[in-house]
Amino acid sequence: MEKETSTSKKLLIEEFTRLSDLIKSKYGVSLWLVEIMGKRHSYVAGYKEESFLPPQVIYLNERFAIVSNNWDKIPEKEKKKLINHLKKFSGT
Amino acid sequence: MAVVLSEKEKKWMEGVIKEEQITRYLENGRDFIDDEEIWEKLRKNQNPDKQRIREIIQKSLEIEILEPDETAALLNVKDPELWQEIFDAAAKIKKKVYDSRIVTFAPLYCSNLCVNNCVYCGFRRENTVIKRRRLTLEEVRREAEVLAGEIGHKRLIAVYGEHPTTDAKYIADTIRTIYEVKVKTKNGYGQIRRVNVNAAPMSIEELEMLRDVGIGTYQVFQETYHHETYKKLHPEGTIKSHYQWRLYCHHRALEAGVDDVALGVLFGLYDWRFEVMGLLYHARNLEKFFGIGPHTISFPRLEPAANTPFAQESKYKVSDEDFKKLIAVIRLSVPYTGMILTAREPAHLRDEILSMGIVTQTDASTKIGIGAYSDRYTEQEAERQQFLLGDTRSLDELIRERAKMGYITSFCTAGYRCGRTGKHIMTLLKTGREAVFCKLNAVLTFREWLDDFASEETKIAGEQVIQKEIEEIKERVPAEVFSKLMEYYRRIQNGERDLYF
Repeated sequence: MEKETSTSKKLLIEEFTRLSDLIKSKYGVSLWLVEIMGKRHSYVAGYKEESFLPPQVIYLNERFAIVSNNWDKIPEKEKKKLINHLKKFSGT
Repeated sequence: MAVVLSEKEKKWMEGVIKEEQITRYLENGRDFIDDEEIWEKLRKNQNPDKQRIREIIQKSLEIEILEPDETAALLNVKDPELWQEIFDAAAKIKKKVYDSRIVTFAPLYCSNLCVNNCVYCGFRRENTVIKRRRLTLEEVRREAEVLAGEIGHKRLIAVYGEHPTTDAKYIADTIRTIYEVKVKTKNGYGQIRRVNVNAAPMSIEELEMLRDVGIGTYQVFQETYHHETYKKLHPEGTIKSHYQWRLYCHHRALEAGVDDVALGVLFGLYDWRFEVMGLLYHARNLEKFFGIGPHTISFPRLEPAANTPFAQESKYKVSDEDFKKLIAVIRLSVPYTGMILTAREPAHLRDEILSMGIVTQTDASTKIGIGAYSDRYTEQEAERQQFLLGDTRSLDELIRERAKMGYITSFCTAGYRCGRTGKHIMTLLKTGREAVFCKLNAVLTFREWLDDFASEETKIAGEQVIQKEIEEIKERVPAEVFSKLMEYYRRIQNGERDLYF
């Protein structure tokens, strides 16, 4: 019953879901997408936390970020590719 | 004496309720509280079999929300031994979902102006003995500075009456103002990191305004779920008289993207068993529509208020014994939810209930007069409070007493700042994983508070608890997590703040 999601947000979610599936299968790392509203970072999509390490928040723009508590397990090159790609879908 | 509404107030009131934002949730034109059905379930489940109660307890221990018939059966238990089993299970559930920590917060009353006229409320429009006041943003800032910089709170619930001068824009401005406060403390700095809101039901568009400034939890109490009682206590012609506008405000909040919502009942307005059933139906309906249940449930009891005879006269007042039972049944019925016990209750009862290990949140150093923290008045003043408090102990005193009981006080506000909200937090709660985050963050935030605000005596009691918690964590989490905890712990001791898991 959630409010209708805008087309651009839908596209971002779809793309994020595709890539987070890929990261999960390749490196076993959970990523989740959050929407930023002031201090509030609301869960939008993605995997649940698989470890108890501190969450790292990686900002895509002022409105969206990805969060992970195993971010360091992803190779640097892959991280850059992922962020750059998702930034295109998040409106920056 | 009748207090006449101004033309401006009347005009504003006409635009508040949006019928189309109620009807979209109705099923066959009806809301989800069927008074007859609830009574029927309470009747049908009388004299429950011991074995059946034990099966229900088992289901709760698996962190599954109960069916209405199951809650009705619990509410009909008479056997004291079986009640003890219910209390024990309630404590186990709380430990499983949230561990042993108790989160602490303070209320911040921003205004007592109100267009409603609820017969049990000290702030009702026609109560002329109340001194009316709305805080300016500068006054809100001063209140937050005392709370964050002198007492050491990190989490507030900001409270507002329903009035055109405290509309969604004002609420959003106050939230923004509170978040801006940053005060130097003994070893670091104090800040309010989560602002929850207790305010009147709003439209989706207004709730989006609160979402955009980073509201924590949106809390609205239905007061009573019983339709006829609701109608009697909330006079016609007021906004609050619209039962369904209130009943579906959490649905609207979730639709607006505020994915932490809080329920509550004012116990003492109607039969407490009926009200517990109402809370369960409410939680189940939210799950049905959104897959998200209530972040917290509150269970305040009716308390004396200035010039408000109803508060003394109600025939539904809940005894201490029944109060403990209803808390335990709520814990079993909605096992994943946070539960808030406030300073309305007398100190001895709060201590007793806290020692039962069922509730998750309490307030302390509580003042509920408008501007009371920065005015620094020490006595309660009935004419500027909604009701009279039962427990006025300071945060330092309360933390010390809890520490002596073996409980750690947590100031954690991590979850909603890293996406542990809505469906995500629900999964973590139901699987018991959130309890680990609770434990880790309790240690870190308690360390901050001890270093910045504790008296010497409290610090001694606190150190013992924190060491015990660290030992427990060491046994429970992987080495790399423990090592990270200790790294953060040391950094906090060195003056860094707001590190969390």
